[in-house]
Amino acid sequence: MSDFLLYLTNGLVIGFIYALSALGVSLIVGIMNVINFAHGELYILAGYFSALFSVGLGLNPALGMALGVLAIFVLGLIIERTLIRPTYGNDMYSLIITFILSIVLQNAYLFVFGPYPKKPPNWVRGSTEVLGLFFYGNQRLASLLLALAVIAAFFVLLHRTWFGRVVRAVSLDREVASLMGIDPVRVNLVSFGLGCALAGAAGVILTPIFPVTPTVGVGVSLTAFVVVVLGGMGSFVGCLVGGLVLGLVENFGAAYISSGYKHVFGFIILILVLLFRPAGLFGQRRL
Amino acid sequence: MTKRFFLNGLVLLTALTVGLALAGPVLAADTIKVGVVGPRTGAAAATGKAFEEGIALALDRINGQGGVLGKNLEVVFEDTAGDPAKAASGIEKLITKDKVVMVLGESHSSAALAEIDVANRYKVPLIIAEAWHDDITGKGYKYVFRAGPCNSGVVNDNILGFVKDNGFKKVAIVAENTDWGMGIKQLAEDGLKAAGVPFETIITERKSQDHYTELNKIKNFGPDLVLAFVYGFGVHYFIAQANEVGLSPQPALILEGAGPPSLWPEFWQTVGDAGNLELFVSRMHKAVQLTAVAKEYGEAYQKKFNKEPTDYKSRSIFDVLLIGADAINRANSTDPDKLVEALEKTELTVGSGVVKFDNTPGSYRYHQWQPPMLIIQWQNKEQVVVYPKAGATGELKRQ
Repeated sequence: MSDFLLYLTNGLVIGFIYALSALGVSLIVGIMNVINFAHGELYILAGYFSALFSVGLGLNPALGMALGVLAIFVLGLIIERTLIRPTYGNDMYSLIITFILSIVLQNAYLFVFGPYPKKPPNWVRGSTEVLGLFFYGNQRLASLLLALAVIAAFFVLLHRTWFGRVVRAVSLDREVASLMGIDPVRVNLVSFGLGCALAGAAGVILTPIFPVTPTVGVGVSLTAFVVVVLGGMGSFVGCLVGGLVLGLVENFGAAYISSGYKHVFGFIILILVLLFRPAGLFGQRRL
Repeated sequence: MTKRFFLNGLVLLTALTVGLALAGPVLAADTIKVGVVGPRTGAAAATGKAFEEGIALALDRINGQGGVLGKNLEVVFEDTAGDPAKAASGIEKLITKDKVVMVLGESHSSAALAEIDVANRYKVPLIIAEAWHDDITGKGYKYVFRAGPCNSGVVNDNILGFVKDNGFKKVAIVAENTDWGMGIKQLAEDGLKAAGVPFETIITERKSQDHYTELNKIKNFGPDLVLAFVYGFGVHYFIAQANEVGLSPQPALILEGAGPPSLWPEFWQTVGDAGNLELFVSRMHKAVQLTAVAKEYGEAYQKKFNKEPTDYKSRSIFDVLLIGADAINRANSTDPDKLVEALEKTELTVGSGVVKFDNTPGSYRYHQWQPPMLIIQWQNKEQVVVYPKAGATGELKRQ
């Protein structure tokens, strides 16, 4: 029983983190119809920044994290303005350009940061005995709490603020929204930045547990895409559910079937869902 | 006037450049090139750094003693990243483009298994430094040598002896799903079965960073020793997480079966105090100097890099370069068949011992020299040799 609970806990923790990571992709896809292939690379850049700020410059880890996310937000704005905006109206170009961006960034990281893993110091060390049944790392629990906070904040932003309403409107129907007086270009700019910032937030939350190297971004992007497709493109609740499903399936699959092929299970589930429900679990252009 | 001056200048410049370009190869022909293959990126990128250090020291020593055939030795270091495709194209580039007379090195079995085919096809001698899979020499290729450990050697001469000597009762094996991991796991299983020690095996992905599920399975098995055959930064996460779930260092000690990851600077950063009492395989320790060359290596390293040598693979590539240079000098030529002949007759003192290749065909021992290996335990951030007993500098600590 304690085994099952451990796998369940780990699956939920990893699942929420997958969900957080995928929210950024989903936002950008939903608003702009742009698939951000450089998502993983922005995640690890945030990780590098938080490691740089806390280890290299000696700043308080929390401050390092906040600055890291802010830096990625600004970078997102710049990318949107310079790379994405010229491709408006042509989804293929934006796909290619973000793909190229991801390759350029990977090599830049190798050149600038080197091939060794980097991480900021743990916020907490040691482990807790959960319900007297098993031990679980404290850093993971702390990361989970922060991830939940960010996800909650995102949903609050989406449903309770004026900006969130704008985002939902543009996502539903761009033309009508612009007729209503919303400037779609401005919304795109901020949404892209916000999407990148969410990738960055996932990065700074996870890097203390899983250090970053120049190439882990590929795996992160792939997982995010699987979650988004699983949950349904453009649906944020779908992201959440998709992330949890993926996290749980991976952990239970590794535990009860085979740990050598952990990442295959997610793809199997994805294929099954797409076979029977091609739009994804919650797929409709509704938030 | 300015135009003519400019044009004349341009012609002169072109002539100079062409002249230098033609003279280039002539000038460069004053060196003999050998290639080194190894991971400069990837999960074991720190080994690339160690190789660079070893190469620098070897070149200092070899060229300081007159070089090879009266010329300076030059090394071209190609990144293979532990990937067979990159390894095959890398070694092909060294052979066909850089025209090296010999290739040395490698630290990943998957890459080495790809490289031996290319080397044998082009008939270029390849001396493996640190790729352990038995098949690398087991395939019996004439142009392939190994002056480094093999899986059978490490398991039979060291790991099994260590398990028996210290009376470990239950062993958990964790192996990465690569050629090396699967190869050494099989040998460990066979050996433990023959010795009557119960064991359980778990396979893991080399790139995986989350091991909670595997660790929980291991914990349920209740071992007192975990053999971790994972070569890369992944093993740091494994050890840190083993500590978090309450597996290590009590009730089970971890023996890291590759070695260098426990010596990389990031080890203590990622693993924290969980690294205490961790065991690992090695072939270099400052208290175990088997030859004069070992001592000279330590001194040269200290002088050049202002710190003590820690990663044993820097000395592995140093040794292999010495062997290569010695063979070229004794063959008095760069002809591949003469080099192979000279290599087979090698009797050379290097940092790890006295090299003599076994030339009996038919098994992995063909063209192989097994250096003496050690098992070392971290005790309060100090390296203590705990096996073999003859070379031990301290007692094994269980807590």
